[in-house]
Amino acid sequence: MNVPSMSPPADTGPRANVLHAALVDLGVSYIVGIPDNASAVLFDLILRDPSMSLVPATREGEAFAIASGLWLGGRHPAVIIQNTGLLESGDSLRGTAVRMGVPLLCLIGYRGYAKMKEAHLDPHAGPPTRTTLTQSDVDSVALLTEPTLRAWGIPYHLYSTDDDAPLVAEAWAQAHREARPVALLLTHASS
Amino acid sequence: MLSKAQLLEPLARLRTNEVVVTTMSVVRPWAQYSDHDLDFASADSAMGHTADLALGIALAQPSRTVICLNGDGSMLMSLGTLATIVASGASNLVLFVIDNGTYEITGNQPVPGAGHLDFVAMAQAAGFQRTYGFDDPNAYEAALPGLLQGGGPVFACIRVELGTEGPISRSNAEEARYLKISLADWSQQFRTALLNDTPS
Repeated sequence: MNVPSMSPPADTGPRANVLHAALVDLGVSYIVGIPDNASAVLFDLILRDPSMSLVPATREGEAFAIASGLWLGGRHPAVIIQNTGLLESGDSLRGTAVRMGVPLLCLIGYRGYAKMKEAHLDPHAGPPTRTTLTQSDVDSVALLTEPTLRAWGIPYHLYSTDDDAPLVAEAWAQAHREARPVALLLTHASS
Repeated sequence: MLSKAQLLEPLARLRTNEVVVTTMSVVRPWAQYSDHDLDFASADSAMGHTADLALGIALAQPSRTVICLNGDGSMLMSLGTLATIVASGASNLVLFVIDNGTYEITGNQPVPGAGHLDFVAMAQAAGFQRTYGFDDPNAYEAALPGLLQGGGPVFACIRVELGTEGPISRSNAEEARYLKISLADWSQQFRTALLNDTPS
């Protein structure tokens, strides 16, 4: 993998150019999606990369349908969205990429992850409650992200630092081995 | 107003090796005129996501024309796709909206705005440069060869009569070849056929 050699400062999150390099190494030629704060810098890199085509979508569900069509046409796309949009895209993800058996890498911004951790809430600890879903210092979408992916049968991995860069290739390989979408949850904004 | 036969028969007659993507109430009728490896039925799939699926195929295969037979109800579910299609620059996509004003599959309940929505105006506002609207079968058939030629994306809204198509299944009980197997299996077959076929 072509990982840039400079180490990031200790107080920053993952670098977008590391993620971008991992996508380039895999031969991802189409990115479909909608940027969020976690992926904004990555989107800018993709926009400037002549080896990649960026297809901005109007909604996240549209992104999964376009990506599935790209795969039908012989391409190897990836989707980049935020977890809020993941919830919007349920039927499209189910009815296209999952139902069609599309090996699709999905990079999903994990909005609310840090606050959820600060509040010591665990998305594995059972269904969210009214109390946690209405808690003002917690973003409820964070509480729902992992349970939703589990419920929908989408394998996922957390991507938090540059050390996680190998996960991109592993998720890609898993998606192709199992012929289904696999998600990487971007827990921190990339810079 | 056109019957489905008046809509589909001339199109099937002109079709060579274009991809044809169908959904909802034209999935079975199209199979009465076509049994082609490059037919893709967006059935047992994601409601309202046929035009965007077709866009993906068109972007992946820029040398091949992709024809999408979308419904009016399906189009309304993802109107943003009109903007996405134009912005993508997919010049090989021909998008039909088959406008009967209803959700036919569930018994012809009216779609929002039935009878006064102007899909052609919407497509023009989204930036489609080539748009067509047909209410007359003779005008449609006469224009169809030209419509399918030249640069796109192309948008055509066709007013059709109410029909009686019911829910679509994927089983051996279905007559259409593409409905006899799972969506995943047809997707694999379609992809293989597409990648092994040379556009004309």
